[in-house]
Amino acid sequence: MTITRRAVVRGLGIGMSMPFMARPAMSQAAGLMARSIPKTGEALPLVGLGTWITFNVGDDSVLMDECAAVIAAFFEGGGRMIDCSPMYGSSQPTIGHGLARIGYPERLFSAEKVWISDTSGGAAQIEASREHWGVARFDLMQVHNLVSWDEHLPALFSMKASGRLRYVGITTSEGRRHREIEQVMASEPIDFVQITYNILDRAVEERILPLAQEKRVAVIVNRPFRQGDLIRRFEDAPLPDWVAETGARSWAQFLLKFIISHPAVTCAIPATTRVDHVRENLEAARGILPDEKLRKRMTAYVEAL
Amino acid sequence: MMAEWATYTLADFLMFSPRVYFRLVERYNQGLWPFQLVFIAGALAVLFATATDGRRARAAAMATLSVAWFFCAWQFLWLRYSTINWAMSYGTAAFMLQSGLLLLAILWTDRAALPANSLRRRGGIGLMVFGLLAYPFLPLIAGRAPASAESFGTMPDPTAAVTLGALVAFLSQKLWLLLPIPLLWCAFSALTLLAMEDFGAWAPFVVILTTFALLLVRR
Ligand SMILES: NC(=O)c1ccc[n+]([C@@H]2O[C@H](COP(=O)([O-])OP(=O)(O)OC[C@H]3O[C@@H](n4cnc5c(N)ncnc54)[C@H](OP(=O)(O)O)[C@@H]3O)[C@@H](O)[C@H]2O)c1
Repeated sequence: MTITRRAVVRGLGIGMSMPFMARPAMSQAAGLMARSIPKTGEALPLVGLGTWITFNVGDDSVLMDECAAVIAAFFEGGGRMIDCSPMYGSSQPTIGHGLARIGYPERLFSAEKVWISDTSGGAAQIEASREHWGVARFDLMQVHNLVSWDEHLPALFSMKASGRLRYVGITTSEGRRHREIEQVMASEPIDFVQITYNILDRAVEERILPLAQEKRVAVIVNRPFRQGDLIRRFEDAPLPDWVAETGARSWAQFLLKFIISHPAVTCAIPATTRVDHVRENLEAARGILPDEKLRKRMTAYVEAL
Repeated sequence: MMAEWATYTLADFLMFSPRVYFRLVERYNQGLWPFQLVFIAGALAVLFATATDGRRARAAAMATLSVAWFFCAWQFLWLRYSTINWAMSYGTAAFMLQSGLLLLAILWTDRAALPANSLRRRGGIGLMVFGLLAYPFLPLIAGRAPASAESFGTMPDPTAAVTLGALVAFLSQKLWLLLPIPLLWCAFSALTLLAMEDFGAWAPFVVILTTFALLLVRR
């Protein structure tokens, strides 16, 4: 198979040949590929940082410092978005610890969630989260797993209107409640939706990703590695040499490149406890993104494994 | 269409890594050492109480168990475990409740005659010995650091095992009030260890099964 006929999407954002592809723009820092948040045009690097399990380390100072090193490497490598939730144990204070250590980089894009069924407690929960992070305000507040979304959203929109938030979103994962997600996307003026998407879990390709493009909703992708399972599953299989042209040098990068090459995706948020892994993951947002044909080939390859 | 709950796996409920959990246990143990020995001594008193028919001894045993539950609730669940698992605020409340129930049980032991059933009694003692003496060696077969050992009075699982053993061995009334929390804890713990793929998960399962088996034996 030759490469010549393959329309490759260049990381520089120029030389884009596929009209349906959203154009990744250059991120200021470190040359990571980025896509714009549709409603504002603000650029986000295609790879962010998740914190579920990995940053829940309690008051273990050794592990807190390890996480701080991951956060430092994330910003050094040009990252912006960190995603967390009050559900994630001590992850919020761990983020605060890591950010304080590097002096709260301006590039930080803070993505938090509100997760409480009694919505009268929403404001207090958001305030507690803010104190843990130590930021003046959150960039993005998402209704976690659609919990009481119909009551939380009006409160979040009014926080946004008064400048206490910049963006509003909703989340789900592992294919749950997609009908409801679509309903919210269609009827509410949300800026972000967060869903699970990876090379084996592609249900969102059918309706949610096209809807996001139509409604100009930014898409955050969670569980890019199915919590590491995909990497463990594939790591013994050879990485096909035909992905080398994209710059992917590991399974993690293969999997991430598949995700972020979908034009509706704004940012994937792999979680890690390791500095080498955070660097490797950010690297996936460099080089070249696979085009449609290569994406099909990637899918076929892993499905045959 | 699959029901939403059917999309969850055991691992979805685990909110920390095994590494974080066992480091937490190790740091807790190191901080307490050699206090664990005090509880082991206390537990031997409980064993002695079970073996004798003395009512005072049995009352002291209930009091010791109550202190053990209180200590686990306060020092482990509340101050340590809840830093990585928010559900432990409920766990703490349940352990405090059990501690209170065990104090009340002092009254009931006074009035209660020992279960006439000797197999049940011996089985209960066996469960206690298991919780006391076998539990701390679990890391050896689970392939963990010895510092992650769980001992009676400081860690919930052996405390629940010893308590269940003591209850089936010598409490003949109001058992239905005292058994649910330790049994539910063992189930929770077994599932947590299973989700962490820790070999030690069999221990709380065995404790549950043994307790039910002893409750069913008639003689
Ligand atoms: N409903 C929701 O809102 C929702 C649900 C699920 C997830 N999320 C968000 O999405 C984020 C990501 O999902 P996730 O944490 O479930 O799973 P994930 O990002 O798919 O996988 C994380 C696992 O992959 C491993 N890993 C990361 N980079 C690697 C690399 N380069 N090479 C090898 N292994 C690597 C990590 O282990 P190491 O530590 O060893 O690197 C970690 O165990 C979450 O952290 C959370 O922020 C949101």
